Amino acid sequence: MDVQEAVSESQHVASADDNGDGKRDGQRRFTMGPNDSLEGKLVYDGHVHVDGRAEGEFRVTGNLDVASGATARILIEATNVTLKGTVEGSVAARDKLTLGRGAKLSGDIAARRLQIDDGASLNGHVRMGDFEQHGSGG
Amino acid sequence: MTLSSTGPAAKNRTSASAGNGSEGNHSSLVLGPRDRLVGLLYVEGDLRVVGTVEGELDVTGSVEIDDGGRVTGPVTARDRLVVGRSGVLKGDVRVARLVVEDGATFIGKVSMGKAALEAPPKPPEVAKPPEAVKPPEAVKPPETVMAPEAAIAPEAVKAPEAVKPQVPVKAVQPVKPAQPIQATKPPDRKTKPPDRKRRF
Repeated sequence: MDVQEAVSESQHVASADDNGDGKRDGQRRFTMGPNDSLEGKLVYDGHVHVDGRAEGEFRVTGNLDVASGATARILIEATNVTLKGTVEGSVAARDKLTLGRGAKLSGDIAARRLQIDDGASLNGHVRMGDFEQHGSGG
Repeated sequence: MTLSSTGPAAKNRTSASAGNGSEGNHSSLVLGPRDRLVGLLYVEGDLRVVGTVEGELDVTGSVEIDDGGRVTGPVTARDRLVVGRSGVLKGDVRVARLVVEDGATFIGKVSMGKAALEAPPKPPEVAKPPEAVKPPEAVKPPETVMAPEAAIAPEAVKAPEAVKPQVPVKAVQPVKPAQPIQATKPPDRKTKPPDRKRRF
């Protein structure tokens, strides 16, 4: 697998956080736009917004959300995860995972709390409760 | 051990606190907070579980688990499955639509879509007893095969008869050579040399 490792420390922000939304809670924000794509491994201290196309492994200390229309083949580990687009891969939410009405998820879920809205699609195993972070977390 | 109830029987067992539910010919069942079902329940209509279910649920309409409802076992809902904020579901799920409210507990495998709903046959789990019937069937076939072979047998018997006269004649000849006589001589020679050495 020629997966490039993109360990992001800088504020690689495609969409500026000038609206103040991203730093509302003091956390940095990594925002991908609809025409952006990322392949590889992202370890990020802050929130991540995924749009466009993403492939690889995302380990985030804050929240991660996948926008409606976005396509992602990723392993996700974040505090709160909100999916509205199409995702293939396993998802681990330290707190809450939300599948929006347009979300399509093929993969296993581990979450402390789970919310699935009517209209969402899911195929995979669901595990709830407090869980150990799997793999070599960042 | 497990109770299997289908259709009308299931309706009789459930408490009739209905009225929350659906309209017209679509039946709606409610397993109340003090109700408990252990076994397999098939419902043509909707089902609301506020009590406890340990077993399999197969519902043509929607299933709602809420208000302390607990379901342990697989659930098939042709329409929609809702796990309310105080509902608990532990089991694999096949559904067309799925709603899990924040606060609900759900552990299991989710299969969604038409393919998932068309695939599951309900009988297989109930049809386990037939295993005991298989052994007698396996013994019978060899007996029935013997009869048809008897018609072909005469041809196979002729071949061995032609070989018999040649074999017995050859077998007697190789025995004639007197090997036992040669075998007795060598032991005599071996015993002599040691005697000579002792004399020197």
